[in-house]
Formats: sequence, structure tokens, C-alpha cells
Amino acid sequence: MSFRFPSNEWIVELSRLLNESPSYESSAKDWEGDFVFVVEPDDGFAETAYLYLGLRHGKSTGGALLAAPDERPTEYRISAPFGVWRKVIEGELDPIQGMMMRKLKLDGNLMKIMRYPKAAKEIVSCCADVPTMWPGN
Amino acid sequence: MANLHGYAGRILYVDLGAETAHEEPIDGELAEAFLGGSGLAAALIARTRLSEIDPLGPENPLVLMTGPLVGTEMPSAGRLSLCALSPLTGIWGESNTGGFLGPELRFSGYDGIVVTGRASEPVWLSIVDGNVELRDAESLMGLDTYETQEAIRQELGDDKTRVGCIGRAGEHLVRYAAVMNDHGRAAGRTGMGTVMGAKHLKAIAVRGRETVPIADLQGFARITAAVREHSREEIATQAIRMAGTAGYVDMATMYGDLPFRHFRTGEWDGADRLSGVRMTEEYLLRGRACHRCPIACGRETRAPVYGLDRVDGPEYETLGALGSLLAIDDLEAVIAAGHLCNRHGLDTISTGVTIALACELAERGILNRATADGLTLRFGDAVLLHGLIEKIAVREGIGDLLADGSAALADHFGVPELAATVKRLEMPMHDPRAFGGMAVTYALSPRGACHMQGDMYSVDTGQVALEELGIAPGDRFDASEGKGRIAARQMAWRSLYNAMILCQFQNPPAERIAEALGAATGWDLAPADLMTIGHRILTLKRTINAHRGVDASSDALPPTFLSPLEAGGTLGNVPDVDRLLAGAYGELGWNPRTGQPENPTLARLGLGRAAEPE
Ligand code: SF4
Repeated sequence: MSFRFPSNEWIVELSRLLNESPSYESSAKDWEGDFVFVVEPDDGFAETAYLYLGLRHGKSTGGALLAAPDERPTEYRISAPFGVWRKVIEGELDPIQGMMMRKLKLDGNLMKIMRYPKAAKEIVSCCADVPTMWPGN
Repeated sequence: MANLHGYAGRILYVDLGAETAHEEPIDGELAEAFLGGSGLAAALIARTRLSEIDPLGPENPLVLMTGPLVGTEMPSAGRLSLCALSPLTGIWGESNTGGFLGPELRFSGYDGIVVTGRASEPVWLSIVDGNVELRDAESLMGLDTYETQEAIRQELGDDKTRVGCIGRAGEHLVRYAAVMNDHGRAAGRTGMGTVMGAKHLKAIAVRGRETVPIADLQGFARITAAVREHSREEIATQAIRMAGTAGYVDMATMYGDLPFRHFRTGEWDGADRLSGVRMTEEYLLRGRACHRCPIACGRETRAPVYGLDRVDGPEYETLGALGSLLAIDDLEAVIAAGHLCNRHGLDTISTGVTIALACELAERGILNRATADGLTLRFGDAVLLHGLIEKIAVREGIGDLLADGSAALADHFGVPELAATVKRLEMPMHDPRAFGGMAVTYALSPRGACHMQGDMYSVDTGQVALEELGIAPGDRFDASEGKGRIAARQMAWRSLYNAMILCQFQNPPAERIAEALGAATGWDLAPADLMTIGHRILTLKRTINAHRGVDASSDALPPTFLSPLEAGGTLGNVPDVDRLLAGAYGELGWNPRTGQPENPTLARLGLGRAAEPE
């Protein structure tokens, strides 16, 4: 089964995979802070989507497609055009490289997140494990 | 010199043996070709009888050089290069330092100082408002670098005086002695403090009130404002501002870039306790900036357990060299060790790597307790570390052996293959197994294993991206000839940086840098011209090293870095050095068999004359 990106099903599946990942759990065991991933429109996707991912103490508390970015309070927001997200999910763009190059924009406490680069890497590797169907495919 | 914008226009020549000083106008053509910093210094040093110079002899010229952006409104350009033949490596030596010493030299009316000869008695050089004087340094001998800076400021009665000085390590000719200024700012690498010590020159103090002539003041103000704005928006500079370079520890651990236990293991639990974020939260007093720098990476910290209320540092390299490399995870102990090195004027990287080698030699049963003054040399021992630093600084007991550096230590025991050095300079805290492009930098850097001559870890983490110049971030494990070419271009780019002189944490688009240099000097420069200047400088340094016996066979990594680590963030990667170097030699126009620049390359870069010693 494949999950369309971006969609509620996709982010719920990511949340499920994170909860099955021992390496995510160990790398984020003290982490507290929820995210909203903002998928901005570009040539490949015409709308804006907000994907919520709850994260606490090495586990995901759930994922959801939001109607608006502030529908749930989150500590972090990462925004990028659809095409950039696709590259990250398909492993073509290292998200740290992407942030440094301003392809992904991070809003939130930078210092706190700097302590958890390995957790970020584990999330991305779980993203790659979500069987993904892209718009237009 | 009239009409040479961007320059004070004069270089001061001091002969310590003859006790004379004179000044010469800066050569405009040379300035345009080599800019300043270590570029212009190389052009001056290339004219000497390179093969005959003893780095510890009076004939070794010590060149202190600023660049056209130093002391201006350009953010993060408050730097000074110190260059000479290195007493540690025997080849080209250079190191640049931040703070305010470089700008102050320009305010005193000089772009640079060339020091030759050896004083018969210890002296310090005073340059105050154009008055040059050699003063008796007898009373300063034995003082540490903080005490020396303070004593000179008091003697001159001006607390705005900027002082570059050596500590006990320089006095005792430890081969990796640093020059310290503005409290804990360091020109650490390649023993420029040793050269000062050999010249019996304890310090250089500078004070001036002139300004640097800028060709297009309005344009320059507009461009520098844009650079400041860009820097504010950069996530990399925001991170450095918050946590210093130490903030990279967590990321470096993830990538396997931060080395552990003398580069031998890929995983170590203690790295977490050396986190720069943790240091910020628990030990930071404030960030400190060099002249006109919005990033302020400098750290002022405390280590209460050691009775230290306020010390400088540590930065990433020190946390690695005096922490993870020695398996010491006590952050306060590492802060205290860094401070000891600063006080004595020791390069923290060479100090840490040399001590780590000694620990490995002891572990292997090669270095016994009797040789080690009865000490048990072992990893993870902070008390031992502090004691060894004290011994190295004054060459006491085992310290005498360690004071000559890793390569000499390994040679002494007949195990040269165990030294983590390239061209006898100790490896910094960036493992080439984590970022393959670093293999090129280490192999080809003119001063030996050096991360400041081509920081490919910055490129492949996306912190530096100059796609228009062919420097694009990519796969960190890529070991293709193409990657070798990118690494070579980054080396040329950083050679330019070390000449302007601009801090490598300030990375605006190349176009902005060309505009800033153009507005400062009045020259018409495009980014491609900047690359040519960088390439020219890098190639000139290579020709200097050729006179010192460097050839393609010297362009090799130590065996340690050619064996995979079983665990950790390098994921078992080993760089394919031959393939990477094939690309790099091709890009630079250097002969892959001899390692020397090809004649057409020299001609294209206009190096025919400059590369020939007089
Ligand atoms: S970033 Fe740090 S080293 Fe560079 S100029 Fe600024 S304060 Fe100095």
C-alpha cells in the first residue's frame, strides 16, 4: 500500500514508523517538541499543506493533516516547496544541507534542535521508508 | 602610497639583529595579484633563499600581514596573518588570528610587518602612532600570554593597545607555539610563536588612529550592510552565534567528523557531554566578537571546579583535541586545559594530537613509564592532560619530547606510521573518513594537515555553497575525480579568504565579496577573478614548498585514515585518495606525477617571476 504525499495518511504512517524505530527512540529519548511541516506550492503541487507531527521522549504522539498551521500549537515549523520535500523524502537532499542552503526554512528554537541532529536523521530515514505516492503519479 | 585604496600603503621592515626599522611602500602590482594576508606574505617570502632557511634561524622572515578588508566596515574581516617557514614542519607556515590586532596595525598606518634577524636580548616591538621602537623584554620573560598583554598595556599606559605575544611555550621553542592576542585569540598553527621565540621577540604591541582609505565609501557601506544582513539570515551563522563553533560537536558526532581516542574509534559515549549546546547552557558567560563581527563566535566561559571564573574558549577544535581525542568527557577539565594552552601560548590542536599519540604509544607498550617521568600515560585522564601541558610548555622531562610534535615523537620511537600528521602538521578535528573531500585538503594544503585551507565539511553540510564557482554541496562520501575538483576549488577559494583576510564563518555570495573588494580598492573584480587570485596564491605556496622538498609523494594521508572505523558516523567509509587527488591536480594544473605546478599553469597565473627566489 502507498500513501499519497502530502496527506493525513502519509503523516500518520510516518508517525507509526517512528514508533517502531529503536534508533529514533534512542536518539530522541529526551526530546519534547512538536512539528508542523509546511508544504508550499510549486510546479509539482498547487496547494499548501500542513503536516503535524507530535514528538515526545523518543516516540511520536501522532500525526495529522491540519487545515491551518496554528490549528495545533507546535514548537517548530519547517517550510519548503513541495519539490524540496520530495527530494528530502527520496533521500536526494540531506535536510541539514537543505536548511543550511535555505531550501528548507526552520522556525523555532535552533539551539534546542542542534542537540538532536541524529534524531532528525532518523526521522528522515523513516520518511524514506513510507511507501509514497506523489501527486500526478 | 598615493591612490592605492584599500591599503594603508606601507610595510614595516624590522631587523632585530641590526636593531633597525624602515618602511617601504606596498607594491601595487603585487597587492593586486596577491591581495594581502597569507597571499601577499607568500609573495614576499617567495623572494628569499627558501631552501637555505633554518626556520629557527634569524634568516627566517616572519611576516605579519593584513588585507584590503581588514579594519574596514566589512563584517568579520578583523584578522591578521602570520607567516614564515614553520619550525614544526619545515615548510610553509601560516596562521591567522582574529580579535583586533590586525585592524589596529592598519590604524597604525601599516599593512604589514616583516621581521628578520634575531635580537641579542629579548625585546618587544612597539608601534604606536607611527613610532617604532624595540623595547627590553627581560621583565616580561616567563610571563604567560595574559600577563604579557596586560604588562605591556600598563607600560604604554593605554588599555586600547593591542598586543600579540608568546608565552612560555614560545620562549622554550616548543615547535607548535602560538601567538596570542586580545586575551585568548590565537594564531595557533605551524609554530609562528616558535619563530618569535627564536627571534627573541616576546611581543608586538600596536596602537594607531588612522583610517583605511576606501575607494567608494558609499558603495562599500551599502555592500557591507548587505553582507551583515545575509549573515543575520544564515542558519549556520545563527548557530555559531548561539553556541560558538562548539555548537558543531553534536552534528560532528553524527557525521563521524569529531575524532575519538587518537582517531582510532568511531563511537564514544562521552561526546554527548562535550556538546557545545551543553557548554552554552552550563558554562557560557558571553559570546565575544572580533572587530566588526556580527557572529561573535568567541566564548567566555567558566570552570568553577578549577577556580576559573572567566576564561576564553573553548572552540570546537579545542573540545576535540583536548577532549574527545583523549577520551576526556569532563567539560570543565577541557575548558581548563584550553585555558592552560592559551596562557602558555600552545596550539591546542598540535598539543592534543601529540598527547593522544603518546597515550597510544603507552597503550601499545612503546612508551614506558620511565620515559614518561614515572607517569602512566592513558586516555581519559584530565589530571595527566593538565600536567603534560605544563611540562610541554617549558620542555620539562617527557614534555621535551612532546614539544617537538607528533611526527617527531613517532620518529623517536621508530613508528612514523602512527603519527596523525600530514607534512608533519597534526590533523585537526575533522576526519577525512567523514567528509571525503577533506582528504584533498589535507593532502594538498600548503601547511600540511589543515582544515582552514579548504573546509569541505562546510561545503558538504551546505554551509558554503558557491554553485556559480563550481563549489556545490554534495554527497560527503563521494570520492570521484569530480569531488576532487570541487575540493581543489574550495582550496583556491579559502586561499583567497586567507588573503583578504575574511573569517571563514562569513560566507556571503561570491558576487558580494567581489563587490566589497572592488569598492574598497577600486579594482574591477568578478567572482571568477577572485578564484584566479586564490588559485595563484595556492600555487605560489606550492612552489615555495617545492623548494623545501615537497612533491607528490608528500601528498599522502597517514595510514590511520585509510582504514575504516567499525562504528560511528563515518559508516566505514575510507576516501579514495588517489582518485580524489587525480581530480584535484587536474583542476589546479599541477602535475600528478611530480606534484608541481605545470609551466602553463604558472604562466597563466602570472607566477613565472614570483615563483623564483631572488
Ligand atoms: S566569526 Fe568568530 S573568529 Fe570569525 S571574525 Fe567573528 S568572532 Fe572572529
